[in-house]
Amino acid sequence: MTTTVPSATGSLSAAEAEALVHRECRLLDELRYEDWLELFTSDGIYWIPVRDGEQADAAGLVSIVYDDAARRAERVFRTLHTPVLDQNPRSRTVHFASNIEVVDSDTAEPRIRCAQLVAELRPGGDRQVGLNQTRLLAGRCEYRLHREAGVWRIALKKLVLIESEQPLFNLAFIL
Amino acid sequence: MVATPDLSLADLVRDTRDTFEINTDIYTSSDVFDAEMRNIFERGWVFVAHESQVPEPGDYRTASIGTQPVVVSRHEDGQIYVLLNRCRHRGTVVCRAEVGHSNYFRCPYHNWSYANDGELVGMAMAHGWRDDFDKSSWGLKRAAQVAIYRGLVFANLAEGGPSLVEHLAPVRRYIDAWFDRSPAGTISVIPTAHKYPYPGNWKWQAENGHDGYHGNYVHESWQRVLARAGEAPVREIRKFRGGGCTRGFRNGHGLLERPGGLNPAASWTGRMMVTFPEYDQALRQAYDDDYIEFVSARRNIFIWPNLYLFDTQLRVINPINVEATEVYLYVYALDGVPEELNRGRYRAHERFYGPSGFGAPDDVEIFVSNQSGVRARGVQWALMSRGMHRETTNSDGELVGHSTDETPVRALYRQWCRCMA
Repeated sequence: MTTTVPSATGSLSAAEAEALVHRECRLLDELRYEDWLELFTSDGIYWIPVRDGEQADAAGLVSIVYDDAARRAERVFRTLHTPVLDQNPRSRTVHFASNIEVVDSDTAEPRIRCAQLVAELRPGGDRQVGLNQTRLLAGRCEYRLHREAGVWRIALKKLVLIESEQPLFNLAFIL
Repeated sequence: MVATPDLSLADLVRDTRDTFEINTDIYTSSDVFDAEMRNIFERGWVFVAHESQVPEPGDYRTASIGTQPVVVSRHEDGQIYVLLNRCRHRGTVVCRAEVGHSNYFRCPYHNWSYANDGELVGMAMAHGWRDDFDKSSWGLKRAAQVAIYRGLVFANLAEGGPSLVEHLAPVRRYIDAWFDRSPAGTISVIPTAHKYPYPGNWKWQAENGHDGYHGNYVHESWQRVLARAGEAPVREIRKFRGGGCTRGFRNGHGLLERPGGLNPAASWTGRMMVTFPEYDQALRQAYDDDYIEFVSARRNIFIWPNLYLFDTQLRVINPINVEATEVYLYVYALDGVPEELNRGRYRAHERFYGPSGFGAPDDVEIFVSNQSGVRARGVQWALMSRGMHRETTNSDGELVGHSTDETPVRALYRQWCRCMA
């Protein structure tokens, strides 16, 4: 299924950038993870580093998430189709994206910079430890896009959480 | 007497020939927690850092001994000092960063300055203090004892007691084998760590790292992921998880062991030796075949009271309060192996561990579910007697159990009793 916004011209417009980012937020909130996979290029990377840095250095460090296509598909499979304890009950999320800027819009690899805020809650029985509390996860986001067959796809999504180096409770849903 | 007048040790642990049970107040009572801090963490050897985390003179990192903040600091003399992170003047912490490099620690409140061995070297406006003020007795308080075993830095806030080597002796040959997966026999901690908190007692994590009983259930999801990836059918994984053994040691240590060997189809080490001929060569140069086989078994080793040695990480358990814990996973490189081999280990680590891994979050979910469940105080006891009737004692005095038996956790609680008595 074609999922991203078709681009009429070679450059990335602000409207296209916003539409793509907002669509990703919606797919994640609606748990349409299989559709979310389609937003990426086949060699695209979904990256949540522990410490912000260059992508080239990620291989020699550990990240919170460093997913190529196979690992992303595995993550979606695990979350949706296996008996995961950490998503039973499932997280309810609202993804917010704002402060959207387009960078290098006329190049072959335009970028989007934005801020991302995710509110998350796992509903459950009254007074269960670890459930029923809203968490806020804020981070700075960078997308690198490639145009494939007239469609902008994500070659890199990097999300640097402000608490990336602090202890983080289970993040078993997709940020 | 451990905690309060109405809780005696005999009320907390039942260790008889037929049963082993723990009173679950040990997970919920603040009095028990306070007693644990005094009797376990502040009176005995506690892991604080690995040497590679403070490699150069002037390097420091902050850590905790129980709930007490400390600085692990390498002085110009090359020695590692473990200092209570508290200005001797009014109690301010002198170091707020997680890691850094500095020649001295300066208190932000009234500018008292300490060398990185803790010595008090200066106070602001010294004229206000008596001429005979003895600076030498007002340095940062040092841990009474610091000792290093194969790069693992331990501190003991109390004088006396067994030496570190005596403390580690029962499990020492397994620690050695764990390090000797590196042909150099050493590891280097890398700069990024995984950390997770959970709203539950610290002992849930301590009990779980060498529990071989939960894997097929808590990690069924992980087994499906492996099966989907074509790496192993669930049946095979369950067979593997049924193999090996558990071991319980004196002094509270324990481990879960999976069979190794040089067969690439059956062992990680065997696979790595085929994939990386340099690794094969280096191991064979360093050790004989029997020892390589011993080394190749996969072991999760618990070192009482706050450290696990895992295949990809040093796992440090930080008790915060009776219902709050932080766990830090310090991922390391095996020294003297191809970088690609280590990178493969980091990817494997990311896949299972950390807040977004495909396995560890399921364990954390159990810890918080335990913490919820033990509020049902109409039941007071948790059962840990699995395999008592079939475990054996080997010639080294180790208790050896089936890989799914609760042998290691019993060793842990027997030490708990000795410390709390």
